[in-house]
Amino acid sequence: MPDFVKVATVADVPDPGTLLLEVEDRILVLVHLDGQYYCLDDVCTHDGGPLADGTLEGCELICPRHGARFDVRTGQALTMPATEATSVHEVKVDGEDVFVRIVET
Amino acid sequence: MIESTIQAGFTGAEFSRFLDSRDEPDWLVKRRRTSWDRFEKRSWPSRRDEEWIRTDIRLFKLDRFSLPIQAAEGLEPVSSLLAEDLELGGQSISMNSHSLLSTLSDSLKSQGVVFGSIGQLMEEHGELIEELLCRRQLDADSDRFNLLNEACWSTGHLLYVPRGVVIDEPVHFHSLLGEGGVDLANSMIVLEEGASATVLAEMTSTGDAQPGFHCGSLEIMVGGGANLRFVNLQNWSHSVWHFARHHARLEQDASLQWTSAAMGSRLSKVNQHVTLAGKGANCQVNGVLFTEGKQHLSYHTLQHHKAPGCRSDFLYKAALQGRSRTVWRGMIKVDRAGQQTDGYQRNDNLLLSDQARADSIPGLEIAADDVRCTHGSTTSQVDEELIFYANCRGLARREAVRLIVSGFFQQIFDRITIDSVRDALADAIARRVRDFD
Repeated sequence: MPDFVKVATVADVPDPGTLLLEVEDRILVLVHLDGQYYCLDDVCTHDGGPLADGTLEGCELICPRHGARFDVRTGQALTMPATEATSVHEVKVDGEDVFVRIVET
Repeated sequence: MIESTIQAGFTGAEFSRFLDSRDEPDWLVKRRRTSWDRFEKRSWPSRRDEEWIRTDIRLFKLDRFSLPIQAAEGLEPVSSLLAEDLELGGQSISMNSHSLLSTLSDSLKSQGVVFGSIGQLMEEHGELIEELLCRRQLDADSDRFNLLNEACWSTGHLLYVPRGVVIDEPVHFHSLLGEGGVDLANSMIVLEEGASATVLAEMTSTGDAQPGFHCGSLEIMVGGGANLRFVNLQNWSHSVWHFARHHARLEQDASLQWTSAAMGSRLSKVNQHVTLAGKGANCQVNGVLFTEGKQHLSYHTLQHHKAPGCRSDFLYKAALQGRSRTVWRGMIKVDRAGQQTDGYQRNDNLLLSDQARADSIPGLEIAADDVRCTHGSTTSQVDEELIFYANCRGLARREAVRLIVSGFFQQIFDRITIDSVRDALADAIARRVRDFD
């Protein structure tokens, strides 16, 4: 299993807010919501759209292309046109630093 | 491991150093500078562009590569998949954008055939190359990759066949990429009126530990009544970024059979355009895509009918393993002058994994009113009943899948008339078929 990688500091992401990341040849979106951090693949499973460019409504991240919604906590697709979950990754905060560990599926 | 480039990036200073390292005529230097200026002002393609919406290049970092200023030393050609056991009329081999070897039979030389690395031919055939570059139909301004190639192309292969000359033996282009290498080829195949030739082009990596970068262009000009058979195999390692623009122009009654196979690269974005510019021109394009792992291959084809009575037949077949993805976007475009056009395009996809994805987007854009243009697309997984049938006859699942994949591509293999090339492609694909659930 890969190690945790430092990706940001807590000051880099407002609450609520998102941050685009590149980790180990993957493009990810880090979500800061109600004091918690979540990390998803920056991929809408409908057509590969960039979720980091989308808007955050509560715990739902909305793809800017066709409006598919994903639960930032689980990656689950909540609405059409997406039907499959996007991958989620482990996040931990140590002091002021935010770390991500890629979870291969 | 082969290291041939010094990591200095694609900067203005490096571009000047690149120009200084080449002893090229003023007209060419001027062309390069104009393209470089446009390149510097242009942004990378946006994911909002329809052509790039499904192809994510955010992880591509040009500054991790450098201009191919210095030739690699001590490099040896590697074996070829396509040309093995073939008697060749000529062979041109390059490594990391520098020519390694160029041969042409005496009989072809005596008939006026010009063949080899463009850079090396410049001194002897400068006027011809200038004329051919001016005749090119490539829209070099269309995106930043094309401008980069137009400004910085280095080597590339050229075949020029004079009027009426028929080449019986195939000629072979072989482009090699070493670890971390860059290939900025600008290749041309030109058949004048009534000429005939067979060209095999192959791209091979010598390692996959470091990312490689190919940004190439290929222009094919088939003169009136000329006949070209062209087989292209892209077999880079899975760490290569591959961006290419291919264009063919067919004059009256010209004929082109183009087989394009792609199995390699981390990400490919290829534009393949055929312009049927002369009455009665005929082209058949066969595409084979085989992907695995996290590969992403994106092919954008255009069959552009500008003249009446032409025929185009595009067939692309893709088999996908792992989490790989293919994008095929095809267009038949018929101008008002293109009456009596017979155009066909088809894309079939075979998903060998439930995580693979194939996007297929055929299209028609027709301004004439007396044409037959049809298209089709299929995407499916392997039929479990076929596997069961094969299992019942003693074949393991993997062998069964290999047979099914071979059968899937057979329609294209049947169109390849050189036996050894057909067998080499079939073997290369069969070797890559993995077990799947």
